[in-house]
Amino acid sequence: MLATSSGSFRPAGTLDAATALLPYRGAWNTRGAAHLLRRAGFGGSPAEVSAFAAMSMDAAVDRLIHFPDTSQLEAAPELVQDTRRKELRAMGLTTEQIKMLGKAHLDNAVALMQWWIGRMIATPAPLQEKMTLFWHGHFTSAYEGKGITAQDILTQNQLYRSYALGNIRKLTLAVSHDPAMLKYLDNRDNRAKHPNENYARELMELFTLGIGNYTEQDVRESARAFTGYMLDDDDQFAFYARQHDDGSKTFLGKTGNFTGDDIVNIIFQQPAASQFFAKKLLEFYVYSDPEPQLVDALAWQLKKNYFELAPVMSVLLRSNVFHSERAYRALVKSPTEFVVGSYKLFSLPQAAVGKPILGAMTRMGQRLFYPPNVKGWDGGAAWINSGTLLTRENLASTLCANPQMMQTATWLTQNASLDPKTLSAHIVTQVLQGDISSASRAQLDAYLNGAGTSALGMLSGENFDERVRGAVYLAMATPAYQLS
Amino acid sequence: MQSRAGFLLGSLSGLTVVAKNADFFGRALAQAPLSGLTGPTDDHVLVLVNLQGGNDGLNCVVPYSMPQYYKYRPTLGVAQSDVLRLNDEVGLNPNMKSFKAMFDRGQVAVIQGVGYPKPDHSHFRSQEIWQTADPEGYSGTGWIGRYLDAAGLPKANLFNAVAVSQVLPELFGSRTIDVPAIDGNLRGYGLASDRKAGGAAAFRSMLSDTTQPFDSPYLGKVAEIEANAQRGSEELPKLVDNYKTDAQYPATILGRSLALASQMIGSQIGTRVIYVTHGSFDTHTSQKPTQDRLLGQFSDAISAFYTDLASHGNDKRVLTMTFSEFGRRVAENASHGTDHGEAAPVFMIGGSVKGGVYANHPSLDDLDNGDVKYTTDFRSVYATVIEKWLGRSPQGIIAGSYPSLPIIAA
Repeated sequence: MLATSSGSFRPAGTLDAATALLPYRGAWNTRGAAHLLRRAGFGGSPAEVSAFAAMSMDAAVDRLIHFPDTSQLEAAPELVQDTRRKELRAMGLTTEQIKMLGKAHLDNAVALMQWWIGRMIATPAPLQEKMTLFWHGHFTSAYEGKGITAQDILTQNQLYRSYALGNIRKLTLAVSHDPAMLKYLDNRDNRAKHPNENYARELMELFTLGIGNYTEQDVRESARAFTGYMLDDDDQFAFYARQHDDGSKTFLGKTGNFTGDDIVNIIFQQPAASQFFAKKLLEFYVYSDPEPQLVDALAWQLKKNYFELAPVMSVLLRSNVFHSERAYRALVKSPTEFVVGSYKLFSLPQAAVGKPILGAMTRMGQRLFYPPNVKGWDGGAAWINSGTLLTRENLASTLCANPQMMQTATWLTQNASLDPKTLSAHIVTQVLQGDISSASRAQLDAYLNGAGTSALGMLSGENFDERVRGAVYLAMATPAYQLS
Repeated sequence: MQSRAGFLLGSLSGLTVVAKNADFFGRALAQAPLSGLTGPTDDHVLVLVNLQGGNDGLNCVVPYSMPQYYKYRPTLGVAQSDVLRLNDEVGLNPNMKSFKAMFDRGQVAVIQGVGYPKPDHSHFRSQEIWQTADPEGYSGTGWIGRYLDAAGLPKANLFNAVAVSQVLPELFGSRTIDVPAIDGNLRGYGLASDRKAGGAAAFRSMLSDTTQPFDSPYLGKVAEIEANAQRGSEELPKLVDNYKTDAQYPATILGRSLALASQMIGSQIGTRVIYVTHGSFDTHTSQKPTQDRLLGQFSDAISAFYTDLASHGNDKRVLTMTFSEFGRRVAENASHGTDHGEAAPVFMIGGSVKGGVYANHPSLDDLDNGDVKYTTDFRSVYATVIEKWLGRSPQGIIAGSYPSLPIIAA
């Protein structure tokens, strides 16, 4: 099922628009710290959550906003050549050789996914990766067809990382020069004599303004401005003056001999641009279907900061609305958040992200580098159907059966209690921040206790391993664990 | 015999999970039986077969009467003498003998040249267009999903529509109905931890517990779908267990998927739409062996499916429709394959179909940059299915107005 405008997933209750973006000064504890880490990252290990809870809220946000050095993280993978098949046939390769290159495509895709997911797990700068994921779902390109190579996709991914909390207008300019994007939305074929409107249209419709904030004439005129934004023989951006229409264009009420860069700059002067990004950021970081007053307030922050994202996210992550009960668990975890968060929960090494995990991500609806269309992943209710949820539960079961898990998740074994109630309280605290009903809690107690089961009996050192794994699995299968 | 006091909940990779759950088991048993399980036998069912990867229409329904066909296909062209002739213009690929027999019995309508304006050559995007019936935008719902929303089917029935596939296809994107995705042999459908015992019902209340100490706009939905998923995966194998058949299905994924489809249809569980897949037809290199094999498998699986349906009296209430994201380039390429093209034929199959060949075959003299131009908009086909088969107005389901095709027997 999918979220729709008719079925809003805005949280119940009322927004206090006047104080929504003011700094939160309420209680700060592990629950709040875990919320912050889930949203501004992919969730924390119990140790990270405790460390964040021990700081002030301001210090915790500062830690996330100011990215520490990440140079010790694993370098991007070596990619194999994956030139498009059409070109290869022209080169006269055999069918066998062409098949090898099909395999190269798949190998590259797996290497890129493992590398990025590994980076999300291991990084000391989780917000950098979270923003990279945000931009990947926003300025989408897919590693599929149109001559897009793995290197193009990696270059684009690095671009989004380098602009993670950077200037959105400058990022949009860079995106307009990005090889993967120029291929994905066909601007490489946009010539003065044969304009191709694909990029120009999506730039406004899906990337910056939203439908209703420009006319078809604006699409045509801006496509003219983007003519000649092409690729050279090495697939690098090149401006081909001879393919560029240097005539006068009238775009959003302004007239001049505009280039594509001028178009981007004019777009960011529109009030709709700040509204558009404010809404998208709120839906990704705070809650679905945010109130117009809240969108206005964040849009003002964007304008005031000339679309510099770091100061805006600094305000948002400290704000009353972000830390409000209304925002708490108000989003559905994406498959990426589910996987990375679970790895962090157990401190499993990122090297353990194998192909079965990637396959499960596809079945859960999020194959990284293959967004379903130029609009990106819908998210929210679109993550939830019986197939995706069964996959989540089965993945939780697989992870709980991981032989390494009892060693890496030291919080499970250190000073562990053999008292079922104490143990279940511990698990519920670490996995769910206590977000479980008393009825479910009673079932977990009973399960750990084994009371009445002649086969297994009471919790003991002997059955501790399997009982704990089973209980953690059950905690991960609850609705709360699916929510961020 | 398993005791009710403590039964196996399944195993987690070698370790057995056992719970004390007399209470929960009792509660699970007390659950009301699924409603909507018995439907009237004349309920129409639609089966969609996705020929994934882009099936080469020209070598499937071969325009053997057009000399240009053989010019464009010097090595791949199907010889006139091999073609299974449907009329004076076109014939089926020689590997589709059992399917040809169905055509001869009047159970197959071939709609030629089906496509849409401004064709997209990307697998992803063109699949999306076929599945959402929205070539211009990104509607977020599928054409069948919108039908499910409009049809007012009982929400409590977990099997109003079923995808026999790993991933839920976009065509089922619905605002109100949760469609399960099931694999053909039912093995991967269910909780891994539950595979050995069938006891996960004990935790149903835990997985679908909405009395949480927090409020979330998504909590109710997650809990509901978790319950659906678990309950559905437990119930379906039992619901279809009594269905017996002598039909011999080929041992292919499509054969297994259609066998399950027939089982569901024959078990009267209220299923209206079933989706299965076959492929991959993405034959850029050495097309002939691959496409021949796939078309043969298709032909045999469909034939077995209708034999099975007929032996249970269901063949007239099941309409099967094929689609593929696109046909392929008219000219073969240097690797004895074909590249992504545009329009292609669609098959409508069943005891209620008015058999024959419909619409004009696209001209091979007037190509769109090397591709055949469509002669029938795919939304015409969809509108026909929605109106004449599923009995709804296409309005609100298929945007725009498209003429109905006379392919369903009144």
